[in-house]
Amino acid sequence: MNDNVIKVENLVKYFDGRCVLDGINLTVPRGCIYGLLGRNGAGKTTIIRILLGTEPTTRGDTFLLGTESTNLAPKDRGRIGCVAEGHNLIQNYKVERLIKLCKDLSLQWNHESFDHLIETFRLPMDRRVKNLSMGMRAQLNLALAMAIDPELLILDDPTLGLDTVARRQFLELAIEVIQKQDRTILFCSHILSDVERIADRIGILAAGKLVVDCPLEQLKERVKKLRIIFGESPPENLYLTEIVNQQIHGREMTVTVANWNRQKQAILETFKPSSCTEIPMSLEDIFIECTRPGTEPVQVA
Amino acid sequence: MLTLIRREIRDHIVYFIAAVVFSAILIAFLTAAMYNLDWVGSVVFEALSVPILIILVLGFSAMGVTQMYLDRNRRISAFLSALPVTRSRILTARIIAGLLAILIVLVPLTITAIVMGRLTGPPIPISSGHIADILTTVFLMTFACYCLGLLTGWTANKIAPTFGALGLNLVLVSLVFVKGFGPNIKFLLVLVIVACLIRTWHKFMSTSL
Repeated sequence: MNDNVIKVENLVKYFDGRCVLDGINLTVPRGCIYGLLGRNGAGKTTIIRILLGTEPTTRGDTFLLGTESTNLAPKDRGRIGCVAEGHNLIQNYKVERLIKLCKDLSLQWNHESFDHLIETFRLPMDRRVKNLSMGMRAQLNLALAMAIDPELLILDDPTLGLDTVARRQFLELAIEVIQKQDRTILFCSHILSDVERIADRIGILAAGKLVVDCPLEQLKERVKKLRIIFGESPPENLYLTEIVNQQIHGREMTVTVANWNRQKQAILETFKPSSCTEIPMSLEDIFIECTRPGTEPVQVA
Repeated sequence: MLTLIRREIRDHIVYFIAAVVFSAILIAFLTAAMYNLDWVGSVVFEALSVPILIILVLGFSAMGVTQMYLDRNRRISAFLSALPVTRSRILTARIIAGLLAILIVLVPLTITAIVMGRLTGPPIPISSGHIADILTTVFLMTFACYCLGLLTGWTANKIAPTFGALGLNLVLVSLVFVKGFGPNIKFLLVLVIVACLIRTWHKFMSTSL
């Protein structure tokens, strides 16, 4: 049995002659919570739309639950919950009608969990979707996605527009889903602390490429930010490969290196620096380093 | 599928109500005409047939345009396709809803024409073959105009579907008036229907939602 719930092969997407995705390869194994990160316009939503079959590819193939995205049958779609960016619901429907439509079209519906969520979120049933606040729309979208007990949950910036309490509720819900066996989540968000809290694998999109694709812990080990102080002025070239970012202030050099290993450490030691200290990096720091404008994309995998 | 058809009907209920009202008016005229009310018969068959036909085709064309235009601009299919629904089902449900609206007008009218024809005889000399020809052509024409509406409605631009559908419908209606209700026009209308449905299908299946 194929255990990759999501598979993307050589995905290329052009919009009006502009390359948005340039040969993306990505796999998400069953049970994984994959945090897909990238700056605005990096192509996160495009990948999700292609995966869901709402956007055609320029080249390449994408698979969900072992089926090509363009050929997803209703029974496959019934296993996928989705919270789209901007909470794309039918705006002129009343909440009650939208819920009924989703319930009627779904293959399974967890009444208990859905009613609990609706009660928690206190959503007004008689109001039109367009008259709901952004936060309420996000909550409704999330409740609808969760109601089908999805095997795969795709969340495109799901906490956008949610207040702190609702965001926390959402994360707790997500963790609840994770705890159910074999559930897989693809999660895009700009709130990196949320991603760091729940994701166990991270992908970072920059300049149309997937520059990072590895487990979160491994990412933190592999990307190192070092403050190196030299006795004299720092060398012009450290002869290290995969330098993500490098800054020099007098005798001090701050360098961020991807795929840090002993070999690179040995090369650095040949320059006999006076001191070399590691600066701890959060996911947000790593993200900023990897997506800094003007830096060449360096693969961390 | 039934849920999707129900959704289409409910979302475009105004067209279904209009179809029922229009059908009732036509039946009233037809009934009056059949009961040898000569002035009504001549008014219906000579003066009102053209505007009735134009209202009919423009109405159904507008329905096709509205279904596709609102879908695209409210991103309804984008939402539905995240549920256990395929694009082909969404479009099939839409076309079935359109066909139902057309049948709401034409089926009662056909039944009335047959029943009244048997009871009282037609108001003007006409064979039953002619009635069948007229009704089949009217059905094909309204469905062709509906399909043109579907085809031109899938756009973000408001002017293109309005004037595009209007222009194409007028060409079709003119053709029917020129060629009459014979087999040639039926063949042409079937060709238009098939071409529009294939193009709409292709557009809807391959475009981004």
